[in-house]
Amino acid sequence: MFSTILSQYKATLSVFVVLLVIVVLEFLQVRAAIYPSLLPAFEWLKNSTPLGYIGTTYGSIYATVQAMHLLTMGTLGGLVLATDLRLLGVMFRTTPSEVISNGTHKAFKLTLIAAVLTGIFCAAGVADKVYYMPVFWVKMLALAAGAAFVFLIKQPLLSSKPHSEINPWIIRGMAITSILVWFTVAASGRWIGFS
Amino acid sequence: MSDSKKIGDKELAAISVSVIIFGGLTFHWVAEMISTVELLELAYGTVKLFNNPLVF
Repeated sequence: MFSTILSQYKATLSVFVVLLVIVVLEFLQVRAAIYPSLLPAFEWLKNSTPLGYIGTTYGSIYATVQAMHLLTMGTLGGLVLATDLRLLGVMFRTTPSEVISNGTHKAFKLTLIAAVLTGIFCAAGVADKVYYMPVFWVKMLALAAGAAFVFLIKQPLLSSKPHSEINPWIIRGMAITSILVWFTVAASGRWIGFS
Repeated sequence: MSDSKKIGDKELAAISVSVIIFGGLTFHWVAEMISTVELLELAYGTVKLFNNPLVF
């Protein structure tokens, strides 16, 4: 009986195990204990790496890479909106949602890699500043949650069967959550720039 | 609901994670809005939407 439930609901049980681990770690204040030990790593990134040196010395290179970071984030937002608004039935109705979600996912992977690489460079130049910004950590948390949601939950479900066989409310729920999580990544990123 | 649309493992995981993330982010943005309004009230005594708070 128990092994049957385990085998039938592997993904759901994994989600609750991960959630339980997060709650326990928060209860034990592990995040607060780790936070101070991260400061040397941020200081090293700015003061002792080529990324930090270039980022703090050559304004033109920093501006160029930051522009590329903004372009990758804009592309990421466009891909997310194209996929999720199609899943919500708002646009591209004449094209099957399977075609759009599979097509955009390939571009999404490449764009996410480019956004992360350019983002590391941008953060390296101001690493000792962003370390103290709560909004930077909100962005990192939203980015991790968004990437995990796309690669572990959303895309495996969407590519497992025709979308007409999936409960439409689950598809809508995933699409709205996806838009909100990537909106948070974008808004937090601009908030870092504002701070 | 037809048999083919029964909620399976992946669907259950998807809706659980969606609700958790959506709830967490909504809580975050509402909390940000409340703290911003409180900060403005602390600084200017009142918050007037569509008015510049710097103008008393």
